[in-house]
Amino acid sequence: MSAPAVHRFQSQPNAARRSERAAFWLFRAATYLVLACGLGVFGTIFFKGAGTVFKAEAPFINTTFFTDAPESLYIFEFEGKKYEMGDRAFRAFKEKHPAAAKVKSESYVYSAGGIFPCIVGTVLLVVGSMTIALVLGVCAAIYLNEYARDGLFIRFVRLAILNLAGVPSIVFGLFGFGMFVIYFGWNVSLLAGWFTLAFMVLPVVITASEESLKAVPKGFREGSLALGATKWQTIRKNVVPYALPGILTSSILGIARVAGETAPIMFTAAYVVRDKLPWEVEKAGEFLFQGVMALPYHIYVVSSKIPQNDYTERVQYGTAFVFLLVVALIAASSILLRNHLRSRYKW
Amino acid sequence: MVTAAPILMDTPPSASAKSSAGKSPFSLPTVAVPSVSAPGGLAAPAGETLVDISHLDFFYQTSQALHDINLKIEAKKVTAFIGPSGCGKSTLLRCLNRMNDLIDGTRVARGTIKIHGVDIYQPDVDVIELRKRVGMVFQKSNPFPKSIYENITYGLRLQGLNDKAKLDAVVEKSLRGAALWDEVKDRLDSSGLGLSGGQQQRLCIARAIAVEPEVILMDEPCSALDPVATAKVEELIQELRERFTIVIVTHNMQQAARCSDTTAFFYLGKLIEFAATRDIFTNPANAQTEAYVSGRFG
Amino acid sequence: MSEPNSTAAPAAFAIQKRRLRLLGLTLDDTIKAFFGGNAVVAIVVLTLITIFLLREGLGFFAQNSQSLRVYRQAGLEYVDFIRAEVDDHTALTRYLSDLRLRQLTDLTEVKKLSLEDANAALTKFDEFADKFSGTVDPLRSMLSDLTEQATAIKTKFIVTGDKKEERRQLLAEGKTAEAAAVQIEETDFAAELKPLVATLPAFKEGNREFGRALLATLDGAPVMPAPELAARMEKLKQLTRDYVAGLPAVEHALETWDYARPIPAWKAVSSFVFGRQWLTASFWQDWYGVIPLFIGSLMVSIVALVLAVPLGVGAAIYINQIASLREQRIIKPCIEFISAIPSVVLGFFGIAVLGQALRALSQVSWLSWMPGFPYSERLNILTAGCLLALIAVPTIFTLAEDALNNVPRAFKEASFALGASRLQTIVKIIVPASLSGIISAVLLGLGRVVGETMVVLLCAGNRIAIPDFTAGLSVVTQPVHTMTGIIAQEMGEVVRGSIHYRALFVVGLVLFALSLLINYVAQGIVRKYRISIG
Ligand SMILES: Nc1ncnc2c1ncn2[C@@H]1O[C@H](COP(=O)(O)OP(=O)(O)OP(=O)(O)O)[C@@H](O)[C@H]1O
Ligand SMILES: [Mg+2]
Repeated sequence: MSAPAVHRFQSQPNAARRSERAAFWLFRAATYLVLACGLGVFGTIFFKGAGTVFKAEAPFINTTFFTDAPESLYIFEFEGKKYEMGDRAFRAFKEKHPAAAKVKSESYVYSAGGIFPCIVGTVLLVVGSMTIALVLGVCAAIYLNEYARDGLFIRFVRLAILNLAGVPSIVFGLFGFGMFVIYFGWNVSLLAGWFTLAFMVLPVVITASEESLKAVPKGFREGSLALGATKWQTIRKNVVPYALPGILTSSILGIARVAGETAPIMFTAAYVVRDKLPWEVEKAGEFLFQGVMALPYHIYVVSSKIPQNDYTERVQYGTAFVFLLVVALIAASSILLRNHLRSRYKW
Repeated sequence: MVTAAPILMDTPPSASAKSSAGKSPFSLPTVAVPSVSAPGGLAAPAGETLVDISHLDFFYQTSQALHDINLKIEAKKVTAFIGPSGCGKSTLLRCLNRMNDLIDGTRVARGTIKIHGVDIYQPDVDVIELRKRVGMVFQKSNPFPKSIYENITYGLRLQGLNDKAKLDAVVEKSLRGAALWDEVKDRLDSSGLGLSGGQQQRLCIARAIAVEPEVILMDEPCSALDPVATAKVEELIQELRERFTIVIVTHNMQQAARCSDTTAFFYLGKLIEFAATRDIFTNPANAQTEAYVSGRFG
Repeated sequence: MSEPNSTAAPAAFAIQKRRLRLLGLTLDDTIKAFFGGNAVVAIVVLTLITIFLLREGLGFFAQNSQSLRVYRQAGLEYVDFIRAEVDDHTALTRYLSDLRLRQLTDLTEVKKLSLEDANAALTKFDEFADKFSGTVDPLRSMLSDLTEQATAIKTKFIVTGDKKEERRQLLAEGKTAEAAAVQIEETDFAAELKPLVATLPAFKEGNREFGRALLATLDGAPVMPAPELAARMEKLKQLTRDYVAGLPAVEHALETWDYARPIPAWKAVSSFVFGRQWLTASFWQDWYGVIPLFIGSLMVSIVALVLAVPLGVGAAIYINQIASLREQRIIKPCIEFISAIPSVVLGFFGIAVLGQALRALSQVSWLSWMPGFPYSERLNILTAGCLLALIAVPTIFTLAEDALNNVPRAFKEASFALGASRLQTIVKIIVPASLSGIISAVLLGLGRVVGETMVVLLCAGNRIAIPDFTAGLSVVTQPVHTMTGIIAQEMGEVVRGSIHYRALFVVGLVLFALSLLINYVAQGIVRKYRISIG
């Protein structure tokens, strides 16, 4: 052979190398398959939902979908033309064309109008439950990280937190139903939903907060204490402000979970349909004790309780699209807030 | 076993206690303000015993870190703790302002530490008040991620002082006291983390003296600094000795020799020798001390 | 704190405590107690969950016991012996119609007959089948009579119970007169049952006649065209003979049956834990057996894990050991972002897209070798399992990646230094060293999947039945119902305090216990691993 001199460490193709390459490709394929699946779900919903949410002419956004309540959709033929219209429009139409009063129509519930009450309900649920969870969670984390000394009690608390994290969401729903709805007599209400959801994300918030508190250098605490600060002054002025960005960032996880969960609010806070908006209550005190519509529950309702066809698809994909978008928006705003705080406290 | 007996005269700790006789024991804590000419509040005259440690045994959980320490630290002097790594210097230092309380499972099993004759481990002692009077500078400089100004005023603000003019005065005084004023006077509002290592350490010293403690504890304040910065801090210590009682832990023999008035040598959690610095370095009474200071330790 | 004292009098070295105290606590103590209180919340919540699940759920067992007692005392149990006999016969006729279908396919596909000709060729068989299934008719009519009688007794008893409740309430409201006016007739089961039990001799007579008739029809069985079919016919004959041989046992059961025999207390529990039927709102008797739901949850979880473990762990290995830094930085958040997709959206995706797509895929002819393909149920174990896998992957990925990350660098370097290739290092060093972490990741993924509600509710098909395992692997194409799904579905409709309502809480308890168990095992594995390293 006249090949150039082969040195001792020349890499040579052999079976071992080939099998390694093949194995690596397998791992790579697994990774990208997962990504593709995720992308597939996102893509389908974005692609199909975009048709509902956007439109071709200005302002390019289908505002009624965001500002109207859900209505039934009526499909009928009148004087040789086919119409699709929502409940209110249909009634107005019948008034205008008395001849149409007896027209035969197909109808699908919730398939017209928009999802405004659901968006409002979801925002209320998320804000309320995250406030409760953050207060409880951050305080608990402060105790665990700053005050607690190792002992049986703390081991117990940690065990409880770990176990709480694994409890299925539907069990939280049952618990919330048994305790808040029935035992406390709050009925299906915002308040019941808030506490149920708050308890559900509590472990996430505690763990995230503790991690952020741990990341604050020990020197800050010692330096402060050595200047004669009390423990509480140290925590308030020299620990929590620096941990806050981290706490907020990690709470995104919790927020996404709260916004996305259906099972816990099914029997504690969500109504299939409710005509009034949450602020249209007679007394201010009733605000907390009213059920709301919520995006995830609405998706459940429109995907399981009405048939699948071209007419209903509009609202089904549209709602799912908006819901994904809301979750993404919450995450994005939390990230912005974090960056803002980060630039203020930098070390 | 302590081979070298303490060589200091035993002065009764009553002097300081008497000087406060006129005040009600329930007087509110006093915030030192810049106008005070004699820092440290009640002045223990130089040379008088300020901190009196006797028969101190200290434990981390079950392991004993300090064995029967007897030591008298004089006011307005610089006392250096030297000894090989792990011998308990930091532990003793942190006992003096009870920073060890922060670590789980630590306890003083026996003995007392008296400052101005007050046993600081008595249950009725307010640790916060103690730490206001016994400040500390750490090995690793730890300025807070706040502005330089905020760093200095942190301690005073904690005590409720919010008067802008007074705070300004304290900031200038402390920074001057820490020989940092000229370097940072134009950027008091920039972050303390933007300073160099040496400047950061001097900032921490400035922060400590801003609350006008009586004693300043320094745990290897120069170990992370280059020689130039070290020289500046040493110079600073020389100036501060006029106003404060300083206890410094160091691994640097020259540093101990240069800055301190008295030196304590520790080995394996025991105080081996405690004497005037000159004596320790030129004429140690103990063979182990001699071996250590001459670098023949092993 | 204090006013700054500007008179600058030398301060005393007063370091004694003189802070404000409230009930012997300083401000700092109070603050600490406040934070401590918050930390206790986790324990409190866990305790409350237990308490409230038990509070609502425990009553189930008493009610179930009562339900079982009425089942016996009202004679429903008695009638069900006969019903079981009739049902077994129905199973035989089903076997027969299956045989007919096979013959038909044989005729049309192998012998290429037209459908009419094939049906015509089967007339003889049809006659036989009619005769076979007709034999049970007398028994069946007797059964429906008895069913009516038993139902009447049960209804009477229930009405009495309602009246008692009404009177109790009236009394509680202080309306004594109205309460006295409520007529209550205690149900005398013995007397009520007499006509029912009196049918026993007639039944025995009819039963013997039925057995004889059935055996007689067997003689008229037509000859099968193919050996395989002939074997099946023989099997049917054998089954029938066995069946007839078993008839006297039924008579015996009826003879020895006694309405007064007490129901042991454990029956209330065992009928839930081992019950193979979840049957609610039935006119006859409700059954609350958790087995079909448990198996449903289990099957869906297994399918999900079978898909998710290789993908999740594979991706973790790829990202942690093989991928370039840039790939790592992009892919990691992406996979973690998948976990942010709300499960109800995935469920909707399953209904709207995946169910259809998988069914269409199963009908592609070159894939028909796959077990269970083609199938017709759009929503089934497979659909739900695929979506649950997507939920489990991020969990498994994140935790497994952590575990891989925790393997000391030194292990890897030592292996490389010995001349091992990257693959060898991964397979022989890294993965074994992080195995316990990976296992606990998988377990926590399992916990996530078992507890998932919306996806299974929307996509598992919601048929409450134990899937037919005799179908082999193709069992995954059958619809099931799950423990989480049943709670979500039925909780909204049940009457508060009813046995059904309480049964759902008990299912919740089972889920709760299961999640604690999974957590416990996962933690145990991690702990053991820590000890072995240290
Ligand atoms: N938090 C702690 N828990 C348990 N033991 C400790 C702790 N801190 C220190 N020790 C032990 O106490 C002894 C004294 O430690 P110390 O930090 O006081 O030594 P040092 O003289 O300051 O050493 P160095 O010069 O290295 O700083 C050592 O044996 C050390 O292992
Ligand atoms: Mg040290």
